[in-house]
Amino acid sequence: MHGYKRYMLFSILPAFAFLALFIYLPITQGVLISFQGYTLYDMNNVKFIGLDNFKAIITDINFPFIQILFNTAIWVGVSLLMQFVLGFVLALLMRKPFKGRGIYSALVFYPWAMSGFAIGLIWAWLFNGQFGVINDILLRLGLISTPIGFLSNPSYAMISVLVANIWYGVPFFAIMLLAALQSVPAELIEAATIDGAGSTRRLFSIIIPYIKPTIVSTTLLRTMWIMNFPDIIYGMTSGGPANSTNILSTQMINKLLQFYDYGQGSAFGVVIMSLLFAFATFYLKLTSTKESDAA
Amino acid sequence: MRKALVVLVAMLVLVSTAFTASAATTLEFLEVMTSPERTALLKSMIAEYEALNPDIKINLISPPYEQSEQKATLMLNTNQTLDIIEVRDLSAKQFVNNGKLTDLTEYLEAWTDAEPMTAVANAAARTVDNTPYLIPANIYIKALFVRRDVLREHGIHEIPTTLEELVETAIKITDPSKNQYGFTWRGKSSEIKFSDLFAAPYVEELKDAEFVYTDGEHHFRESGFKEGMELYIKLFKEAVPNDGINWGFNEQINAFVSGTTPFLIQDPDSIPLLDKMLGPDKYEVHPIPVGPYGFNYIDYGFAGLGIPSYSKHKEEAWEFIKWMSTSDKNGYYNQHYGPLPVHTATFENNEHFQGKHYVAYNYEMNHPEIFVPIPYDLSSEKWPGWAKIHETDMQSVLLGRMSLEQALGKWAKYWD
Amino acid sequence: MRSLLKAGRALLLAGFLIAALGPLYWVIVTSFKGSQEVYTLPIRYWPEGLSLENYKYLFSISSFDVYTKNSLLVSLIAATGALLIAMLSGYAISRFKNEKTKMILLLAMYFTQIIPTYMLMAPLFTSLAKVGLTDKLYAMSLVYIAMMVAFCTIMAKGFFDQIPVALEEAAMIDGCTRIQTLFKVVIPVTLPGLAAIFSFAFINTWNELFLAVMLLSSDRNMTVPVALNSFISKAGVSWSVLSAGIVVSLLPTMIIFAFAQKYIILGLTEGAVKG
Repeated sequence: MHGYKRYMLFSILPAFAFLALFIYLPITQGVLISFQGYTLYDMNNVKFIGLDNFKAIITDINFPFIQILFNTAIWVGVSLLMQFVLGFVLALLMRKPFKGRGIYSALVFYPWAMSGFAIGLIWAWLFNGQFGVINDILLRLGLISTPIGFLSNPSYAMISVLVANIWYGVPFFAIMLLAALQSVPAELIEAATIDGAGSTRRLFSIIIPYIKPTIVSTTLLRTMWIMNFPDIIYGMTSGGPANSTNILSTQMINKLLQFYDYGQGSAFGVVIMSLLFAFATFYLKLTSTKESDAA
Repeated sequence: MRKALVVLVAMLVLVSTAFTASAATTLEFLEVMTSPERTALLKSMIAEYEALNPDIKINLISPPYEQSEQKATLMLNTNQTLDIIEVRDLSAKQFVNNGKLTDLTEYLEAWTDAEPMTAVANAAARTVDNTPYLIPANIYIKALFVRRDVLREHGIHEIPTTLEELVETAIKITDPSKNQYGFTWRGKSSEIKFSDLFAAPYVEELKDAEFVYTDGEHHFRESGFKEGMELYIKLFKEAVPNDGINWGFNEQINAFVSGTTPFLIQDPDSIPLLDKMLGPDKYEVHPIPVGPYGFNYIDYGFAGLGIPSYSKHKEEAWEFIKWMSTSDKNGYYNQHYGPLPVHTATFENNEHFQGKHYVAYNYEMNHPEIFVPIPYDLSSEKWPGWAKIHETDMQSVLLGRMSLEQALGKWAKYWD
Repeated sequence: MRSLLKAGRALLLAGFLIAALGPLYWVIVTSFKGSQEVYTLPIRYWPEGLSLENYKYLFSISSFDVYTKNSLLVSLIAATGALLIAMLSGYAISRFKNEKTKMILLLAMYFTQIIPTYMLMAPLFTSLAKVGLTDKLYAMSLVYIAMMVAFCTIMAKGFFDQIPVALEEAAMIDGCTRIQTLFKVVIPVTLPGLAAIFSFAFINTWNELFLAVMLLSSDRNMTVPVALNSFISKAGVSWSVLSAGIVVSLLPTMIIFAFAQKYIILGLTEGAVKG
């Protein structure tokens, strides 16, 4: 239909105009840099070196690539899972009205409103092995007898940064899922209740399938954001101790800011992008359904 | 007749705008060692300069410290309008390499009434290619900060003067059950400056070296260096909480202020901070301890002012830099902000820098045979990223994941 | 049994609240502490003497009111712009008939989210500098719209997906054009989702630090996160003034949140969905 096509085109034009100008165009240049020997020390000698940057970062003896990949997988996987589960639980808890729900939501959602670097700083301070509030509370409660070096012990460091990240990300899922839950038609749930479905059945057979599109988009989006959000790790441990919390995006920052190596930094960026793109394609294919007529 | 009138009016307008246009030149000034207090200080000094020079306006750009180097690099490399740029030790080489700084030799030669600067300041100015690309304004060198009250509590009355004594004293004080430790460790971000301070003076030849280490010239295979490192590691194991591996500047200040660790090695810009958080009478400043050969090296950090190579107002920028670089103004600048001034006169005349907290720094600067000024080779291609590699390896060693021998071998290979 | 569930629910809600507010409590307490109290051992959970000196200092040493105004302006424009554009594009993609093109469009949107900002920064700065758009607040808004529009589109599409097509078809049969259907039928039902998207777009741009530092220079153009970040210097973190700054900067975002969640929590009004 002529009208339909024209409508669609004009609807997506503004969005893509912005994206083309401010994102697609710059990123092509950014990606090109990953194939060049581009260090800040010698900007006049930028030359094409093919895949050398990639080879270099994969074989780096100082920051083993395998460990970085492993850390990244843990960082993204655990963060996403816990944020989603806790966020969903919170959304379910908040679904039915209660007194003071308005103020409650403004308060319980605020972690998302905090600046990334501030979160890193605050949690680093809370987790401090000598003067940290968490250690202090644990000691006072008698749960431990000596302070724990949360950020200096490689085994605990990753858990600590994960706690901070989970704390930060729960509101995102809670709000989005709450909004999605609100749009589930009351009639649908009533019908199911009348049919004798218990609350668990209702949840898993009616509600979750109904809000599936939101679940898919929020989890995928959040995966990408978690991957590309090194602020918390950088503020708490700088990727340490001994590379134990170093992920792809923190190492990318290291290469850019400490090593002045834009070529290798961009190579890390390309690795991140490729992994996320592959994941997105796979994930979307896996979760796509035909248009359901839920009415 | 009307046409002539119109032309006359137009000419008048043009002429008057030309006058007003040339009436005020705006200089763009980018600072990199940004801090809220220093920015306020700079703004007031700029206001003073503008009052003295009504045809000059200076626009101060103050990106946050964590991003400032990035921003400076980006602006310079895209030839953004800049007339005065603060250049720090870490970025000098990079700016020069990319041709973004003006060679100030001729300007200096023409500056006949320039006041003499300290040896360290002069060296700082000529860091890159032995050519003055910047006029230094702030100097950072390390000294030993001491909590005398904590020491007294533990029956210690002597301040250690050698590294060995420092380690012994620190260990003596340490009592983990009372949350009392001996030394304020630095575990991340520039930790190399602290570990080298302990290990390098164990190599006697360092005294005559040009750089602490550089391409092909290093001492990681020397037994002396190993000895120094072992002493440093011993310090960690017996006088520092394990958490120290992750300590940065903030944790160091926290430990020192709360009395957990009575010894702290730090730069002079910690002084205003400690005055505020601890109180000026609660701590003392002493020269850094020396190694077994009676010396230690002083690595001098610095920040100064330079002129971008493409600036369109170099003369005016230079006038401002000269004004900031009199012992009077430079002294005022540094006394409110903390680090050391650059002129010899300031140390002699400015009361603030004769105060009790600066005596140690003066001593260090005036005894170069004991406190030998040796910089890092910031111009070496191997320098960027080296601190990060060292930090990761050092953490591995302290965690027991890498042996000291392995680390030393790795570092030797890196600098070979 | 019912009261047990109710108690359980209350307990869990309280737990979430404590977990969320805990760190904030610490920041708030620190903001009222004097400089000499910040680093004490044992840890003080209540300041010795409540003082407003940090807040006074915050506004005297930096033009925090100007920065707040800047951030509000930039974020409101960016969030509104992004949302409006996303409503159009999200709806279009959701209703796209060709599955293949739909997937491509969607992936094109997701593509923007996989890009690390650091990779974008240098080329973006260079291009904007060439056309003189650096150090301008309105240009910042435009950049932020671009940064947010993909996320907003994706989320909007998700919410639109949940609205059955039958609903719109009914409206169109009744004589509405596509645009009218969009605004009169679909959007009211997805209002909770749109309010959520708006709050996120607002907050994400409010907290954005890196691009703001690079693309803005003059003091009068600074935004709140840049100002907060500048309390970290070579001499460490000025906790006293930073904690005060964090508290002050949270207020507008919490207000926006509170305002938006009124719509988020809005249940379905009667008659909005007919069988």
